[in-house]
Amino acid sequence: MTGWLSFFQDVFEYWPQILGGLGNTLLLFAIVTVTGLIGGILVFYQALSPNRHVRRITEGYISFFIGTPLIVLLFLMYYGLPQTGIHLSPLAVAVIGFTMNVAAYNARYLMSAYNGIDASELEAARAQGFSTLQVFRLVTLPQTLRLAMPGLTNQVILNLKDSSIVFLIQYTEFFAQMQELAARNFQYFKVYLLTGLVYLLLVSLVVLAARWLERRVLPAACRT
Amino acid sequence: MSFLQMFSLLASGAGYTVLVTVACIATAVVSGLLVALLGRLRIKPLNRVLAVYTYIFRGIPVLVLLFIVFFGLPGIGLSVPPLVSMMLSLGLIAGAYLAEVFRGALDAVDESEIMAAEAMGMSRSQILFAIEVPQMLRFSVPGMLNEFTTVLKYSPFAYTVGIPDIMKQALALASTTLRGLEIYLAIGLLYFAIYQLMLALMKAVERRFSVPGFKRL
Amino acid sequence: MLLQVRQLTKSFDDKTILRGVDLDLAEGQLKVIMGPSGCGKSTLLRCLNRLIEPSSGQVIFRGKDVLQPGTDVRALRQQIGFVFQQFALYRHLSALHNVTLALRKLRGMSVREAHAKAMHELGRMNMAEHADQYPAQLSGGQKQRVAIARALAMDPAVLFFDEPTSALDPLMSREVVSVIKQLQLDNVTMLCVTHDPFLAKSIADRVMFLDEGVVRAEGTVAEIFGAHADPRIRDFFAHEHSAA
Repeated sequence: MTGWLSFFQDVFEYWPQILGGLGNTLLLFAIVTVTGLIGGILVFYQALSPNRHVRRITEGYISFFIGTPLIVLLFLMYYGLPQTGIHLSPLAVAVIGFTMNVAAYNARYLMSAYNGIDASELEAARAQGFSTLQVFRLVTLPQTLRLAMPGLTNQVILNLKDSSIVFLIQYTEFFAQMQELAARNFQYFKVYLLTGLVYLLLVSLVVLAARWLERRVLPAACRT
Repeated sequence: MSFLQMFSLLASGAGYTVLVTVACIATAVVSGLLVALLGRLRIKPLNRVLAVYTYIFRGIPVLVLLFIVFFGLPGIGLSVPPLVSMMLSLGLIAGAYLAEVFRGALDAVDESEIMAAEAMGMSRSQILFAIEVPQMLRFSVPGMLNEFTTVLKYSPFAYTVGIPDIMKQALALASTTLRGLEIYLAIGLLYFAIYQLMLALMKAVERRFSVPGFKRL
Repeated sequence: MLLQVRQLTKSFDDKTILRGVDLDLAEGQLKVIMGPSGCGKSTLLRCLNRLIEPSSGQVIFRGKDVLQPGTDVRALRQQIGFVFQQFALYRHLSALHNVTLALRKLRGMSVREAHAKAMHELGRMNMAEHADQYPAQLSGGQKQRVAIARALAMDPAVLFFDEPTSALDPLMSREVVSVIKQLQLDNVTMLCVTHDPFLAKSIADRVMFLDEGVVRAEGTVAEIFGAHADPRIRDFFAHEHSAA
């Protein structure tokens, strides 16, 4: 028990750095959740393009980012790009990398939701004289967003969990600070266990928020 | 360093990447099946335990669990080899997701077919392995493909515990050649190629076991 | 008597479905149980092979009360072929493998033996040429014939039919009726639940009329279908005829 007592003393002493790390984690999480959604909608819009080549390229984009590890993309930008004279901060690399990756996933969720919506409604909107962009904004997007909600919220949870990898490109987020703490007091097991518990807690909060959002956004008729 | 040397290093790395991926997928399938089938027994306290298990393993980041297993467990006297650490982290986490896929697929098996098998006098386990599992696995193909892809994409974490996979070779090559851009681009394509291979393999397996007109009701 | 049922009752939580049913079935006999929907006829059938546990009464099958504790329920079911309204074919297996499954798993036959036996039964049902097709590729009538072959393959002492034609259009119903008639010539013992008067008239030796969980009447086709003394039975047939 004294082991745990001294452990929590260590945690308490290192508290400001841990809190700073947590802040960085939440910052990255918040940014990429928003940019990933916007990016996903843009990619989705391209995927509906009447131009066959645009559609082909968009499908290639989605498939490539779903098929390659995010970490490779981050390393490419963080460790590779400087040789061309481009130096990006860890946060910038993380935001760009996550956004491209998350956008691909979100676009795929939106695509499969799109296949589930009633084609006659889109036809009706076009028949009324709405422009392509108006049909997308007023009919297609609201419906697909609703139908894709489970996938999209799941992606938000993944964003939070995956943010734990950016210490590998020197972004001092929560996990990085906890590793620093472990390196100081050598209590690896306890430190990493605590780290896991904190992520579990954060994920639980996101899950609760997501459930609340799903209840708010999904009309009864659309719920499965 | 010659191009050939670089190529052979990456090729050996690819071997380890495939090894890690296959080992973790195997762990995921076995643990996922176990959780889904145990859940089928409908024992209340057991189901509560399983729910907590899947909740924890779906809620914890892969890298954090990997560090708990590989760097943390030795602190309480349990030293776990690198590959096993990957299986216990990435493998079990993917298994928790797969358990949900399998559970949903089991629920999709037609009740009337199960009743017909009961009426024939088949035992619970005969029905499970002759009717429910074969149908469930077919329903699960899209979900499994998703999860297997995730395993491949998280496999580079293996380098953090010293497994000489593609990522580890790339790091070494980048630091000796200082051509990080080309190397990371190359391995990005290499991972994508492995992904495409896996996709083709799964499609072939799916075709091999496909049943005309068989789909979720 | 192959099967004797005495004072069989079944109630679910707050609803009584069967209120003391008596039934006798002799070897080689084909008895039809009719009655309005919800009268308990499907429940009765399922109580006899204990897919549903009866509340009380006796089911004496081959001289033994199978409701006694210690009865090997699986062995009992293996002697009773069951044909369902919705066919209930295993959708992931071909017609042939639908028939061989029980032979292999329950009779322990080799692949060759099971295959030969299954092809024989499918042939009897005129389905041999469809042996390699999957349920989704068959018509309703064909599915039901595969289901009958699947039940017959186990050489059951009796064949139960639960509304075998209700999910079929009239043409396909005729297919199934002619198959059942053929089995009758082969002396197969059968118990058939239906509300299809055409099926009942075509096949029955005797008809039992079940209503609100009790047997209202039993007799030959002519007796039951003719101007019956019981107004409820007259009403039932008047209604069924106008509906058909």
